Amino acid sequence: MAVKEVLLYPNPILKEVCSAIEKWDASVTALLQDLVDTMVDAGHSVGVAAPQIGDTRRAVVVDVSKSKLGKKQENHGLLCMVNPVIIEHEGQTTVREGCMSVPDYTGNVLRAERIVVKFQDQDRQLQVIRTAGFEAIAIQHEIDHLDGYLFLDRVSSLKTDLFRRK
Amino acid sequence: MNHFALTIIGRDRPGIVSEVTSILYQLGCNIADSSCSILGGQFSMILIISHPELQDQMALSQAFAPLEKKNLSVYLRTLKPGGEEHPDLQGEICMISVYGADKPGIVYRVARELGDRKINITDLNTKLIGEKGTPVYVMMIEAVLNQGVEIEEVESWMTDLKRELKVDISVRSITPVEL
Repeated sequence: MAVKEVLLYPNPILKEVCSAIEKWDASVTALLQDLVDTMVDAGHSVGVAAPQIGDTRRAVVVDVSKSKLGKKQENHGLLCMVNPVIIEHEGQTTVREGCMSVPDYTGNVLRAERIVVKFQDQDRQLQVIRTAGFEAIAIQHEIDHLDGYLFLDRVSSLKTDLFRRK
Repeated sequence: MNHFALTIIGRDRPGIVSEVTSILYQLGCNIADSSCSILGGQFSMILIISHPELQDQMALSQAFAPLEKKNLSVYLRTLKPGGEEHPDLQGEICMISVYGADKPGIVYRVARELGDRKINITDLNTKLIGEKGTPVYVMMIEAVLNQGVEIEEVESWMTDLKRELKVDISVRSITPVEL
């Protein structure tokens, strides 16, 4: 399909709550392929959400299998996720995140360590997967995009957490 | 565009940031980078500011004189051209956590181990925590490792220090992930 331009904040599309995909037509398949193409073209990216390429439908792609961190952990390879929902989460972990839509800035973000996520795959099949570690973090980051959240909305101060927790 | 480093410190109370930024706003200054925090009972502000025209450090300093009357200490320094630019530091980032019974020399000894090996410390915070009778010293260091230096190597440098200072030291990698 096509490599799309990744929108940068303050583009207002990045702050929109995306709508569920009810009608599955050729445009959904095309959207998923565009997301994969854009992620692969970026080289270092492990996930892209539809609003990052200007489409406000609930679709994301994630693939941590080629990243340095992802290679060390079990993962599901390429995940094309339509209407993804996290139905369970447990544990907490802090990770230093950055985002293609917010260049030149990283922040410590608190994420669930393990999640169970429900979604429809590229073949419209309902999938429920349990995942942990880097893949779980990437999925949470991308699903946040669908709700208009950037990692900046979730940055936690490690200093404050450490020194003020009694 | 001229850049200045502005440092302000004073007994913490509500309104300090408002008073400082009011002056900056009226002068037409931009705040590029800043870090503000409470250290002990003191509120400290370090700001890199810029102004499209103002070059005279003295004139700028005068504008902050009212802050001195409000028990805030102000220090202004003119940056050399390019001094405002963030260096592009390549290398793995690591977090070194040091904690143990309070004693003199913890910061110096750990920093020396890193400095002697030309490891760049990019962030350092210390805090005294715990009970009055048994204070615990906590230090968090973020450092950029030189090419070819592994986390395990940093851990090995810290092994003797742990024994010498009787503190716990852990080293872990912080790999920023772009998602």
